[in-house]
Amino acid sequence: MIQLNKNYSLPERLAEFIPIKIVSVGGAGLNALDRLVLDGLERADVVAINTDVHSLTSSVATRKVQLGRSVSRGLGAGGDPDVGYQAALESADEIREALADASVIFMCAGLGGGTGSGAAPYIAQAAREAGALVIAFATLPFGFEGKRRNVQAREALVRLSEFAHAVVCFENDRMGDLSPPQAGIHQAFAMADITISQSVRSIVNLIQQPGLIRIGFDDLLVALRTRSSRCLFGYGESDSDNRAHDVLTQALKNPLMDRGRMLADATHVLVQVAGGPDMTLSEVEILMQELGRHVSDQTQILFGAAVDARLGDRLSVTIISSLSAEEEADLLQTLPEANNASAVSPVREQYEVAAPEPEIQPEEPAVEVQPLEETIPFEEPVVAEAEPPVSSEPPVIPTRNGEPEHATIAQQEKSVPSKGEKEPVEKSGTPAKQEVLQFEPVTRGRFEKSEPTIIEGEDLDVPTYLRKRIKVK
Amino acid sequence: MANNNLMVGLEIGTSKICVVVGESRPDGTLKILGVGQAPSRGVRKGEIVDFETAMKCVHEAVVDAEQKSDVMIKSVYVAIAGSHLQSFNNRGCVMLPEDRDEIDEQDVEDVKTNAREVSIPAQNAFLHSVIQHYQVDGQQGVLNPVGMLAEKLEADFHIIHGVRTRIQNSIRCVKELPLDVEDVVFSGLASAQVVLTQHEKDLGALVIDIGGGTTDYVLYSEGAVRQSGCVAVGGDHITNDISMGLRIPMARAEKLKSEEGSCVLGNCLPGEMILLKDDSGFAGKEIDRETLNTIIHLRLREAFELLKRRLEEEPYLGYLGAGIFITGGCSLLSGIDHLAAEIFEIPANLTHAQAAWGVTSAVQNPQFSTAIGLVKFAQVMHTDRPPRGFSRIFGKLFSGKR
Repeated sequence: MIQLNKNYSLPERLAEFIPIKIVSVGGAGLNALDRLVLDGLERADVVAINTDVHSLTSSVATRKVQLGRSVSRGLGAGGDPDVGYQAALESADEIREALADASVIFMCAGLGGGTGSGAAPYIAQAAREAGALVIAFATLPFGFEGKRRNVQAREALVRLSEFAHAVVCFENDRMGDLSPPQAGIHQAFAMADITISQSVRSIVNLIQQPGLIRIGFDDLLVALRTRSSRCLFGYGESDSDNRAHDVLTQALKNPLMDRGRMLADATHVLVQVAGGPDMTLSEVEILMQELGRHVSDQTQILFGAAVDARLGDRLSVTIISSLSAEEEADLLQTLPEANNASAVSPVREQYEVAAPEPEIQPEEPAVEVQPLEETIPFEEPVVAEAEPPVSSEPPVIPTRNGEPEHATIAQQEKSVPSKGEKEPVEKSGTPAKQEVLQFEPVTRGRFEKSEPTIIEGEDLDVPTYLRKRIKVK
Repeated sequence: MANNNLMVGLEIGTSKICVVVGESRPDGTLKILGVGQAPSRGVRKGEIVDFETAMKCVHEAVVDAEQKSDVMIKSVYVAIAGSHLQSFNNRGCVMLPEDRDEIDEQDVEDVKTNAREVSIPAQNAFLHSVIQHYQVDGQQGVLNPVGMLAEKLEADFHIIHGVRTRIQNSIRCVKELPLDVEDVVFSGLASAQVVLTQHEKDLGALVIDIGGGTTDYVLYSEGAVRQSGCVAVGGDHITNDISMGLRIPMARAEKLKSEEGSCVLGNCLPGEMILLKDDSGFAGKEIDRETLNTIIHLRLREAFELLKRRLEEEPYLGYLGAGIFITGGCSLLSGIDHLAAEIFEIPANLTHAQAAWGVTSAVQNPQFSTAIGLVKFAQVMHTDRPPRGFSRIFGKLFSGKR
């Protein structure tokens, strides 16, 4: 495995090998996966899933699953999500088999088409039921691909985010900025694939690299948690003399980062700095200081550092964040406080106990949480009173500890109509359950049928107070 | 129109359609003879979405204007708005042939064509190319280069373009009435014609025209248009926000907005309530005033901040000597000037058509700024054209003498 400086390596960390699977769904996902494999990726199984046999044969993935042998007869889904879904249903057993024995499943899918939109949510559900942590990387089609495709993609994204623990969403329109305007279209698509591959790879590394300051799923989930689906991601790598500065500039240049402007609004920013053995503390310091100028004072920075000999004299930085709403931020900030002693946020524990957890009891936690949620925004002392049962118990009954946090979020979601009945079907084994939703139905009132006014990524037809989550009344 | 000093401006707005009939006086002033208007239906965010309905409304407004001004309307200037409009600055350049060193009108036309030779999306059409300045052999700030001696003529243009078919929709709607369309004008540019004086344009000014469906802006600096654009957010959005936030019907929300709304926060007593009387199909309701104002405030703040970000892409915002001028129906909202001044950190004024007289109630109503601006635009075009041919003859004569 990794060559580590003996002074730093801690044996128990090395033991913590995490089985990872990377799954691609549909044609676009397949392209991204191929790119990922070609760029080199160790310590992860790759599974390609598609309806189209032709593209599967040309894929470099080690394991391939053909969907819907009788539904689509080896052809694509023809842009129809229903066909994609039917095909996935038909091959359900094969999918389960392919997804088994993984702790983390990364899923790449291009939404908008038939297989991507139809099968991806189903596969995410299957992955979750297999007991894995599911992180989905979804691309949304270009605007010019037509409204219908975009609508299909949005719908699929909503469904996908019900099942996946986190969704990293790439808008192709944004990716267009990556390549120079005169570049060929293949280059533009290639750039999109590269960006996805880069993000998957850096997240895989991030989880698997035994760092000096380690970043775990908990941090990752906190950083990715959002309901506005706006994921900020930046990756930079450099071996120049001024590499600390260069990597940051490079990372901020990422189109998903919007030149670092959007970082200012993020409540959580995950930063991982990795470098060869010659990485110095002052370099990290410079980098973090510079980054500090892009984030606000309130932003919680989840910092990780790792020494990886394979990087040689290169330095790399990964920045992951998402724009979350203030309301939710309040909630998240109070929860880690509750168990700061264990330094592991409830999200992580939730994940760990997911498998053995026998049954969920929806009623009881909901009642428990009601007063908690009510009091958080208003009075500090009351919060303290309400929380001791949570903070004192974690090592004893982790299930209970995980539960309130899950229920709180679910509770919040319930205020949004029409989400309630979309609870995933519970099957034998681990129940897949709704935990973190990236989306909510948009309410646009009288502009419902008119052309949306989307500027800087926000739908301005939705009332401002709703988007900014400012309570009226 | 028998009298070719008569000009008509037609604005197909999101909340209302208005037709302004104006007369250009020999002394160069503009007199408003009559204003016709009709509530608008079938228009969303400045663009026609229901052709038949919109056409009926336009017809209604035109008939109204004909009655009030006692003029037969045959041709109109039409305002164009909508989020599809885009703008940029571009420089055109022509080299004079070696055997000639005097700039003539054709060169000026050529340089304009040259400036337009930039790639705009295939489906787009040019709406305006507004001259900013000419440069003659590197000499800056030339206003009229015709007759000057030079080797190279350059010109900076502000170019506004939009989706061709969407512009054509407005034109078709008018042509089917049938009326002739003399020209189409970006509504923000039209408003600026009457809201700003030449002096203010020279000092530097930003006109924000907040209408029902769109917010148009035009920034002048050193007498020339530098930035312009249109954001599809307007008073309708505020009404929609109120309607959704307070759970009252749209019509009620509209009334509440215009009668009670304000975008200043903390200006009312805590717990101050507004009583909405019950009506058929609507049970009465008490509305918290602060809540109402918060909804309006958030929306407008967002819109202004969006504008500010757009304008900050270029450096002119820092050099506005005359400040911000807010017009359009939404400028009637109380406190909007304070909010704009706070966000842009530049003094902001509420304003209406200045450069016209006649039906005073119309002239002083900011809702009519665009339509009156169209008439003013027409006047400028009219007065520009004949003398241009005239001076050409003179110019030729003079050049012959010299």
